[in-house]
Amino acid sequence: MWIYEKRLQFPVKITKTCPKTAQMIISQYGGPDGELSASMRYLSQRYTMPVREVGGLLTDIGTEELAHMEIICAMVYQLTKNLTIEEAQAAGFDVYYIDHTTALWPQAAAGLPFSAVEFQSKGDSITDLTEDLAAEQKARTVYDNLLRMIPDPEVREPLKFLRAREIVHFQRFGEALERVKSRLDSNNYYYFNPEFDKSMQRKEAKER
Amino acid sequence: MEHLAIPTIPVQTWNSVYEVKDALREGTIFPDLNLPFFAAEDANGIKEDSFHSISENADAQKRRETLMLKIQQISFYMDDLRLYLDTHPDDSGRAEDIKEAGGIRRELLKDFARECYPLTFDCMAELYGQSPYPAKYVWQDGPMPWEGACV
Repeated sequence: MWIYEKRLQFPVKITKTCPKTAQMIISQYGGPDGELSASMRYLSQRYTMPVREVGGLLTDIGTEELAHMEIICAMVYQLTKNLTIEEAQAAGFDVYYIDHTTALWPQAAAGLPFSAVEFQSKGDSITDLTEDLAAEQKARTVYDNLLRMIPDPEVREPLKFLRAREIVHFQRFGEALERVKSRLDSNNYYYFNPEFDKSMQRKEAKER
Repeated sequence: MEHLAIPTIPVQTWNSVYEVKDALREGTIFPDLNLPFFAAEDANGIKEDSFHSISENADAQKRRETLMLKIQQISFYMDDLRLYLDTHPDDSGRAEDIKEAGGIRRELLKDFARECYPLTFDCMAELYGQSPYPAKYVWQDGPMPWEGACV
């Protein structure tokens, strides 16, 4: 169950139309390391996560990513809301406009559609949390790249906020991995899959 | 003891936190986790009075925006605190933080519903417990969050 709160997590107030910037930022909506991908990754992985607090963390970060998706969409919307045909053509936004006008559609900056192929839900706690650590780093790099290219302070403020969140999430996933490790035998973390071989985990806990 | 072939991330210990009003701008409540990018070292700042006036009078709008920013600040404080507690469930020292922030947020949401429009369906339902209750359905009142008219 989710409850909607009619506000953004971080304020977005963009006054200048810029389809070029919109076309870059949209990658964090539907691109390989975008917020939609992040949210679906964590919200998919959580069901089989054997450590309860890690399932809770995946729920909370997955939910926050939905709020980040809304921030990104708000930015794209405001950057194109008063778009003219001439501006669309000059910025190369015309190719997006043809299929979507100024509506929001999840795609990468280069036009690739959003796809679940971009993330994994592997059913092994160590594997999934390692993927999550990498995912936060990949998203941070995208925000770094966007911050190099975009000068408008009204756009930069929310981008800086979102980048900062990637680092906090990385830390939390790292701590989650430590919690998973603490329940395993450190002589061989890979002796069994803690998410699937539940009987092994119980046996191990008893022996320790 | 070090272990090969597995990542190790040091577990954070609670140190200092930012003021509620600064944390949102920094993107975290923890100075220890604030690691900015060199190409983003321009001054941070949410411009609190650079809003475009829409149809209503400026005072009402200013009040609404001030309240909204406060809600965003305290809610974000709780968001970041929640993630910390997810991986530190045994840190019993945070009870006061949760209680205080939760109380402030509840009051602000109530004020916003009464003076502007309800942000959640529960906030709306609460309006109907008061007298006089709204003469018309108010869930769709106010701008949509992505419109930028109410930051």
